[in-house]
Amino acid sequence: MTSKLTRRGFLNLATATAGLTALAACVPAPSGQAAPEEEGVTVQFWIFWNQPGRIADQIMADPNLPDYMGDNTLEFRTGVANEARLAAVAGGTPPDIGALGYYLDFMARDVVVEVTDYVAASSVINEEDYIATNWQQTHYEGVQKGVPAIEGFVRRGFFYNARMVSDAGLDPDVPPVTWDEAMVWHKTLTQFDDTGNLLQIGLDPYDAEGGVGPGNDGWGIADSFGFHYFDEETKEFNLDNEEFAEGLEVWGDFIRLIGPDNLVGMRAVEGQGTWGGAFNAEVQACIVEGYWMSGETYNEVPDVAEHLRVSWTPVPERRRGVKLQQGGGHMVQMFRDGTYKDEAWPVAEWLQSDYWCDQIFHNIGWLPSYKPYIDNAPRDLFPGLEFIFDSVAEANYWGPQIRCEIEDFVRVKYGEFREAVYRDQISGAEAVAQMQELCTKEYQAAGFA
Amino acid sequence: MPSKLARHRPRRFLRRVHTIVIMLRRLLPATPREWRTFLLGIAFASPWIIGFLGFTIFPVGSALYYSFTRYDLVRDPVWIGVQNYIAFADDADFRLVAGNTLWWVLLSSPLGVLSAFLMALLLNSRIIFRSFFRAIFFFPAIVPVVVTAFVWIFLLNIQYGAVNSTLQAWGLKTVPFISSPKLMKWSLVVIHMWSQGAAMVIFLATLQDVPKSLYEAATVDGANAFRRMWNITIPMVSPIILFNLVMSFISGFQYFTLPWIMTQGGPSRSAEFYAIYLYRNAFQWFRMGKASALAWVLFLLILLFTYLIFRTSGRFVYYAGATR
Repeated sequence: MTSKLTRRGFLNLATATAGLTALAACVPAPSGQAAPEEEGVTVQFWIFWNQPGRIADQIMADPNLPDYMGDNTLEFRTGVANEARLAAVAGGTPPDIGALGYYLDFMARDVVVEVTDYVAASSVINEEDYIATNWQQTHYEGVQKGVPAIEGFVRRGFFYNARMVSDAGLDPDVPPVTWDEAMVWHKTLTQFDDTGNLLQIGLDPYDAEGGVGPGNDGWGIADSFGFHYFDEETKEFNLDNEEFAEGLEVWGDFIRLIGPDNLVGMRAVEGQGTWGGAFNAEVQACIVEGYWMSGETYNEVPDVAEHLRVSWTPVPERRRGVKLQQGGGHMVQMFRDGTYKDEAWPVAEWLQSDYWCDQIFHNIGWLPSYKPYIDNAPRDLFPGLEFIFDSVAEANYWGPQIRCEIEDFVRVKYGEFREAVYRDQISGAEAVAQMQELCTKEYQAAGFA
Repeated sequence: MPSKLARHRPRRFLRRVHTIVIMLRRLLPATPREWRTFLLGIAFASPWIIGFLGFTIFPVGSALYYSFTRYDLVRDPVWIGVQNYIAFADDADFRLVAGNTLWWVLLSSPLGVLSAFLMALLLNSRIIFRSFFRAIFFFPAIVPVVVTAFVWIFLLNIQYGAVNSTLQAWGLKTVPFISSPKLMKWSLVVIHMWSQGAAMVIFLATLQDVPKSLYEAATVDGANAFRRMWNITIPMVSPIILFNLVMSFISGFQYFTLPWIMTQGGPSRSAEFYAIYLYRNAFQWFRMGKASALAWVLFLLILLFTYLIFRTSGRFVYYAGATR
């Protein structure tokens, strides 16, 4: 007897196969209560930076990594894009542990778990081993929800290119300490051609760390002009203040001299990105940056690093004598929807190890906030770094770390209003008043008031 | 006593219901054999149906629900009624981006269509290397938007852009094409007009379809080139003008990638369009509820504009084969 596949038979078979395939695809993925596996589990570790991706193989080759991970495997993913991070967190598929930015947002929204018990049981992670600011940053409403890691040394320094400064007839050994003095440098260093086209700028105060809005790294303008923008206790904004208005006007003058339209082009110097790109391309002589400027410049543009010098971030004349520094940085957090929490915790400890920190410091230029490492790190590895190390002890004013649940909103509005000021669309006083109103309204609308 | 008209109303309604029932009966299978065929058809179409339900209807429905909530992606949504919609009335940012977007749609769409039409006319004429030029003019349509953005940045940047470097080399003042709030949107319009390859090809195909006999008859009647263009070419391609205009309006309202890559909506928020504001609310400020409301308002705006264009299209669109 011969069996013949009819058209109808084929269609029935195809439909059944498709149905079974669809059913098979609907089988739920392994839950957090996965059965113990003899060969261990795979722990997901994500970070948002790209730079460590360049040395990921070296990092993962740490001979001590198995001591931390045991039978478990570590999957290390770098350069995770903003949307991918948020989609993973919102979709309930975040990594087990990671540094994904949005630290405060995640803490305030209970996306990440408390680590108090893990810390209490750890022999590696202890409060006294960290820069105080960084340790505080990992807490929200008194509960610890992260561990300082990867990058977290001090954030403020006035870096300048000594060659360009000398060429302009200025003394590189006497850097400016106030914004008035910085303006003298700025005017001298900024150059135009005969037709008025911009050739070189002295200082763009809004570039790099100088321009960051409120967040992990403090707030550049608030630290320098000395104001606290938000009261965590009363949940009230204090953006409408004279110091902020003064800061917007004073820094606005730097941009007005360059020409606001020129600024955009100068920032985005070819192939250098927008953060500090003009400095690296030697068309900008001075920049307000974090400690990493030394190592990153050395690793990325060694010719420029040869001329790199660093001093205190300028302050207004009324604050002359203030030696400003700011802590802050990054942390790793364990996610509520992550699958393996106990297995992921050793990653937080591994990130404090000499091997990890050496890789990050020597190859990228980053330092952790972990004192056992910082205290023994070579202080003169990169140009200007020694000053930064000394500044930790010499600083007489540390910028505040303020937690405001809508700091991303404040940051974006800050960018918009400062531009409106230096384009003379509104005054500094009007800008801060409007920011106060907008941010208060947004805080209520976001459900935090 | 009810009027004659009122007495007839229930009967008319019942008749309509009856007609619908009959139509449904005709659509649905009657015999077991017809049912089998019907279900088989559904089974074959099911990949699309499932995709449509899961990836279109469900997200659209979810967005509608979220638009009535305060939702930050992570915490559970909180029902707040129409507050998200009402808040737009008092939202200066909303007014700014709505203004920018309307400016963009009303200017860029007609100019884009005009540019595509003119390019098609040019490439429909007898010029040397016509095929080569057709390929060159179409090229921008196949270049990814990200590449387009970077190419134009490298051309127009005030500091290192090719155009400004040339001006500088000639001892002239540079022009802040993409760093001045006054020029930014106009620069985007120029880029938009440049990248009309796809619309141009559709125009070109239509132009080649216009019967030559019409031009010959007009020439015999003494019509000059302008009259032939005005009275023959434009009416004959007017359905395509409508099509391109509608498509351009729709994409114009959703304009995002180019201004976002080039300046993130700057300088001075001059290129902050509706979709950028929506993105900021959703992914920068975790205001997914508000972003969903913005998306629905955008959808309704697009619907309204499209409806208005179609309502008025009878005045300027000529369908040669249409029966009235």
